[in-house]
Amino acid sequence: MKNCLKVERAILNLTQDELAKKIGVSRQTINSIEKNRYVPSTILALKLSQIFNKPVNELFILEEGD
Amino acid sequence: MTSKSFIACERERFKNLEKLQLPYWMKKFGIGIAILAFLALFVNKFTADVPEFSMGVKYALLVGLLFISVSRDKIEDELITKLRMQSYTFAFVMGVVFTLVQPFVNFFVDDLIKPGSGLIKDTGDFEVLWMLLTVQVFSFEMLKRFYR
Repeated sequence: MKNCLKVERAILNLTQDELAKKIGVSRQTINSIEKNRYVPSTILALKLSQIFNKPVNELFILEEGD
Repeated sequence: MTSKSFIACERERFKNLEKLQLPYWMKKFGIGIAILAFLALFVNKFTADVPEFSMGVKYALLVGLLFISVSRDKIEDELITKLRMQSYTFAFVMGVVFTLVQPFVNFFVDDLIKPGSGLIKDTGDFEVLWMLLTVQVFSFEMLKRFYR
């Protein structure tokens, strides 16, 4: 699964740390999600969708094999 | 109590168990205890070698490691929870393998050093718990590094 978190974060001009604080996780978690090392839970995905004001399936895109 | 409310009650209890963690400062406290106990164990081994003292220090070492293991992280989020669970799984498997293999390793090593003197002895409680806790603590820290 890929995601466009980094792009969306850049649009809002947010650092990883600022975004992490907004949704109550660590900066490492945001970094891991951006680098596709970690797939977030539905709750976290919905929180991100709220912050970026975009539906979850536009933030996270399924790839072949998922 | 109906069976449905009984199940709901049990579920609630298990949910509360998930929150069973010590505060972050206890981790530092645990590290302190573990380091001091380890040093004391080392010093005792090469000086007086009092078995009672050694046993007490071993208990302290296990308590310190337990504090480290069950203390919260600075930010306890879902990634940390996942890594914690992975480290517990790994430690459990390693602990079982260690318990099964260790007596035979001891036997063969004893037999190599002094042929015919090898005895198959059970792995001690301290060794098993020490193995479980150290594997959990170190694998958890390593996993955190991978995700940094």
